[in-house]
Amino acid sequence: MSTQDKPKKKKVKVTRNENGHPVEVEIEVDDVDGPSWGPRAGHTLVNHDVPRVDGPVKVSGRAPYPHDIRLPGMLHARVLCARIPAGSVRLDLESARKTPGVEVVLDLEVKEIRWLGQPVAAVAATTPEKAADGLRALAAQFQAAGFAVTPEQALAPNAPQVTRRGNKGKESENGDAEAVKAALAAAAGTARAEYSLPVQHHASLETHGVVVDYSGGDEARIYASTQSTFGISEDAAEPLGLKASQIETISEYMGGGFGAKFGLGIEGLIACRLAKLAKRPVHLLLTRKDEFLAAGNRSGSRVVMEGGIAADGKLTALRAEIERHGGIGGGSHARQPYVYSVEKVHTKSYPVHTNTDGSRAMRAPGHPQASFAIESLIDELCYAANLDLLEVRKKNLANPTYARQLERVAREIGWYEHPHRTQPGRMDQRECIGIGFGVSTWGGGGGESCEVDVRIERDGSVTSSVGTQDLGTGTRTYVASIVAEEFGLGMDGVTARIGSSRLGNANASGGSTTVASLAPAVKNAAWKARMKFAEHLAPLLGTQKELLRFEKGELVDQQSGKRIPFAKACAMLPNEGLQARGTWVADLAGNGIQGAQAAKVRVDPLTGRVEVLKMVCVQNCGLPINRLTLRSQIFGGMVQALSYALLEERIMEPSLGLQINPNFEDYKLAGSLEIGEIVAIIDDEDTREQAIGVSEATIVPGHSAIANAVANACGARVRHLPLTPDKVLAALGKV
Amino acid sequence: MSDSSADAQDPQSSSKLSRRWFLRGAGGVAAGSAFAGGLAQQAEAARARSLAAAPEVLEGDIEFELSINGQRMKLRCEPRTTLLNALRNHCEPPLTGTKQVCDRGNCGACTVHVDGRPANACLMLAVDLRGREVRTIEGLGAPGALNPLQESFWKHDAQMCGFCTPGFVMSIQACLEKQPNASLEQIKRACSGNICRCGTYPAVFEAALAVAKGGAR
Ligand code: FES
Ligand code: FES
Repeated sequence: MSTQDKPKKKKVKVTRNENGHPVEVEIEVDDVDGPSWGPRAGHTLVNHDVPRVDGPVKVSGRAPYPHDIRLPGMLHARVLCARIPAGSVRLDLESARKTPGVEVVLDLEVKEIRWLGQPVAAVAATTPEKAADGLRALAAQFQAAGFAVTPEQALAPNAPQVTRRGNKGKESENGDAEAVKAALAAAAGTARAEYSLPVQHHASLETHGVVVDYSGGDEARIYASTQSTFGISEDAAEPLGLKASQIETISEYMGGGFGAKFGLGIEGLIACRLAKLAKRPVHLLLTRKDEFLAAGNRSGSRVVMEGGIAADGKLTALRAEIERHGGIGGGSHARQPYVYSVEKVHTKSYPVHTNTDGSRAMRAPGHPQASFAIESLIDELCYAANLDLLEVRKKNLANPTYARQLERVAREIGWYEHPHRTQPGRMDQRECIGIGFGVSTWGGGGGESCEVDVRIERDGSVTSSVGTQDLGTGTRTYVASIVAEEFGLGMDGVTARIGSSRLGNANASGGSTTVASLAPAVKNAAWKARMKFAEHLAPLLGTQKELLRFEKGELVDQQSGKRIPFAKACAMLPNEGLQARGTWVADLAGNGIQGAQAAKVRVDPLTGRVEVLKMVCVQNCGLPINRLTLRSQIFGGMVQALSYALLEERIMEPSLGLQINPNFEDYKLAGSLEIGEIVAIIDDEDTREQAIGVSEATIVPGHSAIANAVANACGARVRHLPLTPDKVLAALGKV
Repeated sequence: MSDSSADAQDPQSSSKLSRRWFLRGAGGVAAGSAFAGGLAQQAEAARARSLAAAPEVLEGDIEFELSINGQRMKLRCEPRTTLLNALRNHCEPPLTGTKQVCDRGNCGACTVHVDGRPANACLMLAVDLRGREVRTIEGLGAPGALNPLQESFWKHDAQMCGFCTPGFVMSIQACLEKQPNASLEQIKRACSGNICRCGTYPAVFEAALAVAKGGAR
């Protein structure tokens, strides 16, 4: 873990007037050779709790999300999604066109339906109700062909072919099977089990979609619920018959993405085509049901694992055969043994395709799947060899950060007082309380992509602009706070402008790469603006530029000790004010983070009900840019993992080829009553002065820790999530 | 001609309206602590209303007035329009703070207050609210003049993407108006019909408790 050199400082000699006598003194000033985050203790906003700048508009319902855009003459569109997993469709386009209120009908001319939910047609009408009439009037007649919607169906002999590449995709293999065999034979304890995870939905509260503001002519605006403001105009050019440069994409607010919202998407493409046909603005946001069927998911998995452990707790062998369930997509699964070190490893991994929506990236793609299998197997091995669950983890994690973090979460969750550290509790106890652990990793690094503009006007107003999007992570807030800190201002001193493809470029927000790409560019722009400011004012004030400091809303000349209010200093700028553009600075960004989590649960052995009493996370991420929004990100990862552990599962009906639960009634998300005590601890022992993204890592191990805690409480080892009461009872041999 | 405006043209539409009322109770209140008494009472009241009034047949675009955030609003829409769609598509200016997420009473994002009680706007017909007092998130406070709960949500970072936030604020506000010193348990119950995918719950509880405690002393 490299720690960047201490903040750049340098000493300069200046002449100071003391009691009327000039004295030569040496003072320390910021290095003017480039921006640095400076000493941890020196921050006024960075590494503090800063309430997000868009909080007031969000809590008051004033934030205009794409769903909320209302334009004169705007039509509301609805998409017809295939109600069969494979086959063809016949549509009554004429009836749909004649339906009152319907302005345009679009046949996507799908020859062959290949997955359940595949869009086949769309209508746009004056109200959403009338658009729904239009869909009904299409009177879609689906002719089903043979299909496979579950992996079992897809792998059955004579199964219908899902993709041209076959139902079982290309297999990748790593490691030495023979060496693993030998190591297993020599192990003190072994365990073999099959672990599986269901398909999970992103379930962003704002569904996918766009509002296309186009009424003919050669300009268009697209309001997009997207993770990539700069990934839309390009795709929209063709269907609108415009150049990408004639299309502005706006993403000021968006209601959650979690990895599923990149690019224009089929729904956006449809909206563009409808707007082009109607020459009117079109509002197309998927309905909740369509969102479930056709807007991506986290792939499921089935993993057969076999592991061996030595008497001293060293993991000696692991064999893993990994099946990825990504529908028509490939699915993802991180490499086993995830972050653990195991002496001999042999793995195989391949996708099994079904006639269902393709998987997309979802917060830490592949990691939660890998985490569940390995963390479960480790506990099973510990119990087989009668070893301490925490000590075995520490022993097999090469990076020492984990041992430290694990000890911290263990203390916080009450591990050292817990009675079941080497064997699970028994179900005849009065209270079945269990504890489980899990660890995570992610990159979170950034790269060259962002262009940030800081503008200062003579009236004292400061603007920091970049086209990036804020997924709810607090991006907009640090676009302002980093600049405010640089100029010694409060949060009300700087306005952030984001969410437009007309502003400076920014990368897509995926893989926790936003902060490490953007924060350094903001810092750089702020630093450049400060240098320019000082350069301009120094001669006017008769001092050296290095001696001008900005603090507490004032400009301070360290030579004379003179203080000028910031607004007054701005009035001394040239007429056109001042502008600086900042790009990425590699030194200001880092890469590679670690986290540990623990969960404590209560299991009721009579009903099989699991209650998560407490979860603890210790997470590092270099320099925390905003501690308040950082804690929120950690909460979010933990809560989503809790939800995955207890409730979430896409359920397919194999004979009819339908999803049984494409709604929030039957596809459950954790609500307030599931939430126990959630403790998010920022790991301040990570002293890297670097911005690093954190979101993904926080979602990785929570469900594994919960499943392990359930087994620890009373021996109910559930190897297929979610941990519903029936499965807990089955694991206890009660049903 | 499509057959789909059947909802509006059905001569028995008033009984449909009453079923909507029942659903409103189920979605907006059942999850809360008022389960035992509230639901049955509401169903009873709704039945009484639908029996008392002669069946009213409404079709096509109709004009009516609603009282929203203390102001008379003129609306023109089909009778099948839900309160949620009426707020978002037929008010001028559009009241889009009330969010559409599931459109079937599962998520609480569309929570408004009807005569001071929380209700899911997606489960009510707008026309059925004539003569009632509707309050939306816009009626609670505005940037620069947030109400204490909104202010607390902001300061405790009880919003990430923020799409669920208006619904949470409305559910908890209704609870605090009734129980100014609500406990954590009561607050959890008050927003148990709301979902937040970003996982803001811990901060939501903190934000709500800070206001509840403030009210107590
Ligand atoms: S939109 Fe009304 S409850 Fe979900
Ligand atoms: S803040 Fe995003 S859904 Fe609640």
